[in-house]
Order: sequence, then C-alpha cells, then structure tokens
Amino acid sequence: MNNILRKEMKLSASVLSYLFIAFGLMFFIPNYPILCGAFFVTLGIFHSFQNAREANDIVFSALLPIAKKDIVRGKYLFVCVIEGLAVLIMTAVVIIRMTLLKNAEVYLNSTLMNANFFAIACALVIFGLFNTIFVGGFFRTAYKFGAPFVIYIISVFPAIFIAEAVHHIPGLEKVNAFGTDETVLQTVLLLCGIKVFAAMTLLSLRASCRRFEKIDL
Amino acid sequence: MTAEIKGLCKKYPSFELKDVSFGLEKGRIAGFIGRNGAGKTTTIKAMLNLIHSDGGSAEFFGLPLKDNETEIKKRIGYSSGTVSWYPRKKIKDIADTVKRFYDTWDEESYCRYMQSFELDENKTPIELSEGMKVKLNLALALSHRAEILILDEPTSGLDPFSRNELLETFRELKKEGAAVFFSTHIISDIEKCADDIIYISKGRIVAATAKEEFIKKYSAEGESLEDTLLRLEGGAKNE
Repeated sequence: MNNILRKEMKLSASVLSYLFIAFGLMFFIPNYPILCGAFFVTLGIFHSFQNAREANDIVFSALLPIAKKDIVRGKYLFVCVIEGLAVLIMTAVVIIRMTLLKNAEVYLNSTLMNANFFAIACALVIFGLFNTIFVGGFFRTAYKFGAPFVIYIISVFPAIFIAEAVHHIPGLEKVNAFGTDETVLQTVLLLCGIKVFAAMTLLSLRASCRRFEKIDL
Repeated sequence: MTAEIKGLCKKYPSFELKDVSFGLEKGRIAGFIGRNGAGKTTTIKAMLNLIHSDGGSAEFFGLPLKDNETEIKKRIGYSSGTVSWYPRKKIKDIADTVKRFYDTWDEESYCRYMQSFELDENKTPIELSEGMKVKLNLALALSHRAEILILDEPTSGLDPFSRNELLETFRELKKEGAAVFFSTHIISDIEKCADDIIYISKGRIVAATAKEEFIKKYSAEGESLEDTLLRLEGGAKNE
C-alpha cells in the first residue's frame, strides 16, 4: 500500500490538493460559515481526480502488479490522508480558539457556528459525504466525475447550512459550546463524527472495490 | 507454452471478439497483425484483464490470469504505443514510482535503454515526440526483466531508423529468452522479425502459426507476405 500511496501522492495528485488543506485554517474566520473550509479541502481533492484522469492514471495503475482493489484502496487512502491533515489543522485551530481565544468577542458574538469539537465532527461528516458521493460515484465508471461532484455539491451545502444553524434550535444550544464548556457532550459529538466518517468511508470503499472489479478499462 | 489464450470472447454493440486462441513461446517473437478495428487492442486488453471477456481464459506461465494477476503482471511487460502516462511529470519521477512495484527492476537495464533510446530523464512525456513516447513506454516495460512483452502498436509513429532499432531490440530480447508479442498493422515489421504470425480479422483469429507455415499455407507462388495479407484481408472485406 505504501507504493500505491506514493504513486497517488507523487504522480496522480494535483498540487491544489495539498494547498487546499490550508483551508482548514478557515476555522479561524469569525462570522463565516467555517464548514466551507471542509468543502474547499474536498475541492482540492477533486482536482487530483481531474489530474489523474487526464494522465490515464487508472489504466496505468491497472497495469501495475497490484490487485485491482488496491487501486481503489490507494485512491481512498490518498483522499483520507488529505482529509486527515485538514482535520489536524482544524483541530489545532479549535484548540487555540478553546483556550487562548476563548473570550474573544469576535467569536462570542457570531451568529454562525463556533469552531469546537462539534464543528470538527461536522467537517468529518462532510468528508464522509465526499467519500461516499464523489469518490464512490467516480468508481461507478472510473472515468466520469462531473455528475458525482454535482450531486456532492447539491448535498453538501444543505448539510453545511443545517450544521451552521442547528444551535439556534431551542434545546440544541450546547452544540455551540465555547471554551471548555460541555466538554463531555462535545467529545461525544466528535466521536460520533469520527464513527460516521469511518462508516461512510468504509462502506463506500467496499462498494467501489466491488464496482471497479467489474469495469472495463 | 509461456502464455496460452483460449477462446477469448467479448461482445460490444458494434463489434465482437470471437473465440480468440493462440499461444506464445519463450524465445520467439509473435507478430499480431490485423487492420485497424480488427480487435488487436481488445484482445490485448482482455489478455491483461483490463476488460472482462465474456468467455475464454488467459494463462501465463501455466497460471490462470484470473487468480494470479499480481504475480503474472510482475513477470510481463506492457507498452501501449503512444499513450502517455502522466504527461506533465518528469520521466525520472515516473520511473522512480514504477520501479518500486517490481522486485526484478534492473536499474542498469533501465539506464541502458534510456541511453540507447536517447531519452532525457528530466523531460516530461508531453515534451516528447510520438516516437519517443513509444520508446519511453518500452524502456519502462523492458526494465523489470519481463519474461513476456506485450506491446500494442509499438512501432507506430516511429521513423524507419527507430523502427529498425526497435526490431533489433526485439531480436536481442528473444535471444535472452523472452517471448515478444507485438501488435501492428505494418506488415514489413512482421516480415523483418516475427517468428510467428497471429492474424486477426473482424474479431476472429484467421491464423496463429509459424511464419513459414503461414507463408506455405496462404501465400501464392512468388507472392510477398504483404500481398498475401492484403489479399486475405480483401477477401474478408468482401465476405
């Protein structure tokens, strides 16, 4: 798997996939829908798929002495590495906002969601949606990515809207906790986000391996 | 037999590959000839499991491809004419990635082929002419000591001098014991270096035999191989 990941990172990837990881820093922006940062990270990954298709990457990989399902695993691994790095940046920003900036007026007065563990959980769900809808959709043909990306966009923006607004629903204010308030609830929400991400990604990976096996290249 | 293809079939809406069977032997060069659209690339893709055949099987080194794909692909080399992989990546980066997949990668051979094909590692495939792209694909395929080389139109786009060099390379590989299988629609390539002829027309293998046998069976007195194939293909067209 190291070799196939290396191939993904060195040959298939677009430089934008790496640069767009920095959109995790959008978690710092006050009065802004910070989950758009997660969307931009996936936009960077989308560019790698575009790059790979132009470079005949899938056929090239199919000719290498590896199982076909390892080609799919390699793509998912690459996607997860990029998403994981973005989550690390988001986590670092959340920790800074929870500690050093916990009393910053600019964040406390925002009507949009706070950057806390719940926000990271929501970013993970967005990444899960990307892996399921876009990456899984791509492996239906191993060629077409336009329709899967449009469907992903149509799904992700309502998801962002709901996540940004959910704390305004009476009784759900605690999801927008500041500083170290509601640590237990926030940790549970983060764990739920990780589980949802893992479940969506693994199910999508399994379906993609099955579909890719049947595709004529 | 180093490789045995038995009864490969594949049906498309407008084309059908029918019961394709032939064998490849080590130390021999097999020329796979047929006009454009005859089914050469489809056959090669089915041989490499890039497409799923509707019937038949491919065996390499006595192992069925279906259950031993990874092992078999380590022992075969493939080059696909002028298709360029990663057109904007440096050749050295492509080679550096490819070699990690093969335990048998021979750096010395790689350097030798790069030198003899006059390829510059710091160039990107997009900077190469069509002929040089063929050479790059070949250099990569040849550098992991492949026992069978499957080459799809390797001579297309090459100038006569490069084509001659390439055919000479095939002869050297044959001496080293490799089985070389190359598709072409250039009959003179077959005349110059093939030991066996596999002739495909309209998705069906017309002949798969030694070149001498082929000439004995199909050529009229004093007829060249080119005239024979053109006559056979003309007949097939009129059917």
